[in-house]
Amino acid sequence: MAQTWDAIIVGGGHNGLVCAAYLAKAGRKVLVLERRHVLGGAAVSEEVHPGFTFSVCSYVVSLLRPWIIRDLQLSRFGLELIPLECSFLPLPDGRSLARWDDAERTRREIAGFSQRDSEVYPEFGQAMAQMARVVKPLIDAPAPKPGSLHPRDLAELLKLGKHIGGVSAEHRLLLSKMMTMSAADFLDEWFESDVLKAPMSVSGIIGTFQGVRSPGTAYVLLHHYMGEIDGAFRSWGFSKGGTGQISNAIAAAARHYGAEIRTEAAIDHVMVSGGRATGVVLEDGTELRAKTVVSSVDPNRTFLKMVGKQHLPDDFVTQIGRYKLRGSSGKVNLAVDRLPSFSSRPGLGGHLRGDIAICPSVEYLERAYDQAKYGEFSSRPYLNVVVPSVVDPSVAPPGQHVISCFVQYAPYNLKTGPESWPEHREAFGDAVVDTLAEYVPDLKESILHRQVLTPWDLEQEFGLTEGNIFHGELSLEQLAFQRPAPGWAHYKTPLNALWMCGSGTHPGGGIMGACGALAARAMLTGRHV
Amino acid sequence: MSTSGSANVVVIGGGHNGLVCATLLARAGRQVTLLERRGFLGGLAAGEEFHPGFRSAGVHLDTAFFRPALAAELDLEHHGLRWREREAAVYAPDLAGGDPVVLYPDDVEATAGGLQTHSDSDGSAYRSWCSDVGRLGGFLRGVLDAPPPDVDSRTLGALWELGKKGLALRRLGQRDMAELLRVGPMCVADWLNERFATDRLKVLLAVSAITSAWTGPWSAGTALPLLVAQATRSRSVQGGPAALVDALTAAARAAGVTLRTDCEVQRLLIEDGVVKGVRLQDGEELEAGHVASSCDPKQLLLDLVSPRDLPPVLVRRGLAWRNRGTTAVVHLALDGPLHFTGCEKAVPDGLVERAILGTDIDSLERAFDPVKYGELPDRPCLEVSVPSVSSQGIAPMAPKGQHVVTIQAHFVPYGLAGGWNEDRRQELRECVLKTLACYAPDAPGRVLAAQVLTPYDLEQRYRLSGGHLQHGEHTLDQFLHLRPNPECARYATPLKGLWMCGSGSHPGGGVTGMPGALGARSML
Amino acid sequence: MPLPSPFHQRTSELCTSLLWKEWAGYYAVCSYGMSHEPEYHAVRQSAGMLDVSPLYKFDVIGPDATEFLAFVSARNVGKLKLGQVGYGCWCDEHGKVLDDGTVTRWGEQAYRVTSADPSYAWFSRHSRGFDVQVKDVSSDVAALALQGPRARQILEDVCDGGDVGDLRFFYGTHSKIAGVRVDVTRTGYTGDLGYELWMPAQEALKVWDAVMEAGKPHAMLPLGLDALDVCRVEAGFILLGVDYFSARRCMTDVQKSTPYELGLGWTVHTKRGPFLGRDALRREKSTGSVWALVGLVVDWDELEGLYNSFGLPPQLSSHAWRTAVPVYDQGSQVGQATSGGWSPILKKNLALASVHAAHAVPGKRLQIEVTVEFQRRKVSATVTETPFFNPDRKRA
Repeated sequence: MAQTWDAIIVGGGHNGLVCAAYLAKAGRKVLVLERRHVLGGAAVSEEVHPGFTFSVCSYVVSLLRPWIIRDLQLSRFGLELIPLECSFLPLPDGRSLARWDDAERTRREIAGFSQRDSEVYPEFGQAMAQMARVVKPLIDAPAPKPGSLHPRDLAELLKLGKHIGGVSAEHRLLLSKMMTMSAADFLDEWFESDVLKAPMSVSGIIGTFQGVRSPGTAYVLLHHYMGEIDGAFRSWGFSKGGTGQISNAIAAAARHYGAEIRTEAAIDHVMVSGGRATGVVLEDGTELRAKTVVSSVDPNRTFLKMVGKQHLPDDFVTQIGRYKLRGSSGKVNLAVDRLPSFSSRPGLGGHLRGDIAICPSVEYLERAYDQAKYGEFSSRPYLNVVVPSVVDPSVAPPGQHVISCFVQYAPYNLKTGPESWPEHREAFGDAVVDTLAEYVPDLKESILHRQVLTPWDLEQEFGLTEGNIFHGELSLEQLAFQRPAPGWAHYKTPLNALWMCGSGTHPGGGIMGACGALAARAMLTGRHV
Repeated sequence: MSTSGSANVVVIGGGHNGLVCATLLARAGRQVTLLERRGFLGGLAAGEEFHPGFRSAGVHLDTAFFRPALAAELDLEHHGLRWREREAAVYAPDLAGGDPVVLYPDDVEATAGGLQTHSDSDGSAYRSWCSDVGRLGGFLRGVLDAPPPDVDSRTLGALWELGKKGLALRRLGQRDMAELLRVGPMCVADWLNERFATDRLKVLLAVSAITSAWTGPWSAGTALPLLVAQATRSRSVQGGPAALVDALTAAARAAGVTLRTDCEVQRLLIEDGVVKGVRLQDGEELEAGHVASSCDPKQLLLDLVSPRDLPPVLVRRGLAWRNRGTTAVVHLALDGPLHFTGCEKAVPDGLVERAILGTDIDSLERAFDPVKYGELPDRPCLEVSVPSVSSQGIAPMAPKGQHVVTIQAHFVPYGLAGGWNEDRRQELRECVLKTLACYAPDAPGRVLAAQVLTPYDLEQRYRLSGGHLQHGEHTLDQFLHLRPNPECARYATPLKGLWMCGSGSHPGGGVTGMPGALGARSML
Repeated sequence: MPLPSPFHQRTSELCTSLLWKEWAGYYAVCSYGMSHEPEYHAVRQSAGMLDVSPLYKFDVIGPDATEFLAFVSARNVGKLKLGQVGYGCWCDEHGKVLDDGTVTRWGEQAYRVTSADPSYAWFSRHSRGFDVQVKDVSSDVAALALQGPRARQILEDVCDGGDVGDLRFFYGTHSKIAGVRVDVTRTGYTGDLGYELWMPAQEALKVWDAVMEAGKPHAMLPLGLDALDVCRVEAGFILLGVDYFSARRCMTDVQKSTPYELGLGWTVHTKRGPFLGRDALRREKSTGSVWALVGLVVDWDELEGLYNSFGLPPQLSSHAWRTAVPVYDQGSQVGQATSGGWSPILKKNLALASVHAAHAVPGKRLQIEVTVEFQRRKVSATVTETPFFNPDRKRA
């Protein structure tokens, strides 16, 4: 007799696991199915080279919602976050800028480039903290429903309006500018120095197919100021043991609450009968039945591959077809036999215990983007580098290190087609290593192993359609009540008993966990599961 | 306002918005003096002789956005204004000499019909796009032709207005509203790629989204300007902007406006936050209780008012205002008609009046890329107008058989690395002619004279900060109640007696007359 | 990580207590010995010398220097005579205080401004339209405060020229010490007779050594910030970041203060041309302020009685405190005391407090919170005009 679950969660990434944990905690019988042999999706740690543990894809954590950590008691299940100490920007001319927790030290560093900016910097931080405070309710609650006349939605909208209304006019102006301007233009209003604008603006484009001069990228600056670790504004951190440890902790919590988790269980399609999702069929033909199916994979894969157009309204299929994924980034992980030593700040130091940005100017970033627009990877890309082994010795043998490079731009749609990526993989890896070696002279000699992940690999290996790390671009028209499609931003789908809980839903990508948690909440409060 | 000395109104700037504003004020009984720096009226819409026997029709050539209701209110037809019977077709010639793609702005069916030869699906796609845009257009027109919403006020009246806007949006229906909210922040490239297959059709449409913008078609937020342009386009003026200026000038005179040219304002006179008048370059002081400025916001806030007299917030706003000009204008005197290859069949007499030269969306983006680095593009996108075609027989702009060609070249940076000089101007001229020659090979040989106006020249010539033709970029953060800033968005400014009525105010640039009209209305 | 000041070589040798704190990015001595009391008494009886190099210093120079400073300051700086020093504050456009400091007119078109917060960006932002240059000279200029009744004598002994002995209160002169050109102003933060010496950072040690040598016969001591803190409470001087917060750093309007609310109304000149915050300050002047800064003298007998009821003698720290406590009027809170301490010279327990303006009546009895044995109690405190301590020698 086939077993029946209350919910089958498709995909064992962090959102799927969070959703499973919440549902299990509420007493539901939950099964999580993960295609790979490890859990975590893009938040995964793997020993790719003997003795070296890579946070293969996602590498730092900032937005993991503190209330989820509390609700699921994640620290009890092994979650340990180590805050980043610094943001470091080496320059090709041998100068460098490090921004620290120590405000006075930061001021002095910036004053080396611009005295005016050094004094404006804390004012900017303060304004951003205010903005983050305004925006926070938006990411911790389901998307608003403009246009709905349902009293509950109107009340929610009114509450939101009141919250925004309580904000000073100046801050509201700032907010509207942040929602519409480009990161570079927005920063131009505050700062004069490129060495500040380049590394700050770049947070506006991570994971998007936009340049820092593209309108709508400014609001992502806020993410930097919302990175809460245990309630502290503005801190990004490493997860001890790599980001996979976050997934492991959530999985442990889910299991603790009674969820069953299976790996190497690839789903072929979602079973539909009588206009309802009734379960899933695995690639090996196994049929698993459930009252609800919850997909944490991206909308494109969920609807167009696993469910199939024939079970969905045409309008909705058009909308999902228009949903933009366009991956723009890759990842290069290096195992090295020595500490990476930057020519601008040789040796070990606090600057290595943070994130390191290779983006000497706004123009550098823009030129990197221009190449990508026409289907080439950037020959001098933006790199966001971390060396987690400096703070977490468990990820590399003593004295040796792991260097993780997030790389942008690497367009999924190469001129020669995405399937040609494998031919360009090593050239891409070379571009990254060459770029970094301009700042770390002995980098090339120190490399023991190199792992190169192109957007194509992210799609093939990790199931991210078009290699988009956020399950869909975080552009304004794909956010909040329009994510992933207008009218379907509340985790429900047009197919009965099929729900979404991945980064392709509000509030979007990044290791936040909010999508999974809010989806579980929506299902539970509506008694849909 | 009474009519005693200090109750006079001074309007700064004799462009079309200044003229509209002055006329409406005078008709309401105010004593109005309009001051124009140059020797004649019209600003960017003024026609000028640029070569013996050749007159341009102005820099802003498209008069189809001037609101008919406003023209009626001003009795412009009584003052000589005539609307065109048929709008000029816009051609996108083919580099390889194939058939042009033709857009008939006033004829959806003709356009759709013509598209059949280029694509099986684009004819019907164009019809449905036009009807979609048409539905959204009604709502947009309502928003654009009223003062921007007062989002910061908590008064009942303001809330009522805001509520009405909300209801109008709601009345669009769930689907159209969703579409508006979806398309608004999109990039025009994505939007057009969703709907059409023909590359040059996309170019024809995308151009109005990126005219004078500091963004290429792949930048988010560029779909909205296209939507706005489609929603507000109506009939063009016979004889172009110069004819419109003539009618506006006649209307202003008839209303009793004192028109003074060759009068450059040096500074506003302000005491304790109250405007007292203006001081001219020659030292003359004009007393006025109200001053309406149709200059761009940067010039007004940073140059015409001393920072001592201005609330610091407005200095900040002035500095933050973005007006990086990206359009150069080239007037050509041609000793014959302008022939585009491949257009022989479609235009037997060879008299193309408007053409847009670009191959596909990416060619526009590539034309934009260098602007970011202060460089000139290899191959700019050219918006070509031959105003002398329709002026033949009415008010000739060129000797018989010869022609005036006005080209708006996108994108040419105001902030050229190393600065603008004669060499670079010549380089731009060559670049434009070379691009033109790709589509009209015999054109360069027919050029009798060329006047090249770089964005820097436009700034100097027209006192246009940043050389920006729309007084400020049309971006979402400089739109509605944010144009030019929340303090001044409803035409009044924090300085008592100072008003704004130029393109830097809602609903923005282009020959619409609306900022002038809405400015005058809020003063009244 | 703080930086060493130009005097660090000397101060670090003398600071046997190893009690340091950070001041504006520099290491600053709290007290040279384990107790700051000898240093305090030196200021009141002989002289103390304090390293004040961490102050921010700006040169404002140019044809419009006077007009510019008058525009950014609430005080009419235009009235300063050559060589005169003006104390005042500068406000944002809403009349909220950003910082306080001194402006010294060293030339017709040359001023030196000191401030507690970095202010270069702010000055340069508002210098648009003025023919003026603002230069941050904070790290180029070292500064010493020589404070106490013997300060004049010490300076007369050590200074070469400049008629230092005749220098009037809040005036400055140029002199030389140990061959180093030193600007001397008769200013300070102790409420006593005192001077501040401004010199090139690279020659700072020469000046330090010379003044230390000259001070020896007068029992002068190097002075740390702890003793200074007691002195400034006695003098009723407010401190940025303690008694008020720069509007620039405030998250809400409630956290901001106006000059009138800080007792700096006397430095504000509203009857003049436009300056930053003028309209708001004019309004406040005519309609009255919400808050007022007052001195409080805590009722000793009541305090002693309170401790007695716990079976304890009064236990007061010799340090000034700066953790705000509520101030009440008959049970309802009317404000907060932001700093205070025991005055050894007055034998009084003092506090500086912000209270609702209606309570700022000298002689009025309010209550201040006192915690004894972890229990919160209230003790009467009398509203008093500041300065609490104001010796004639300060101005004479």
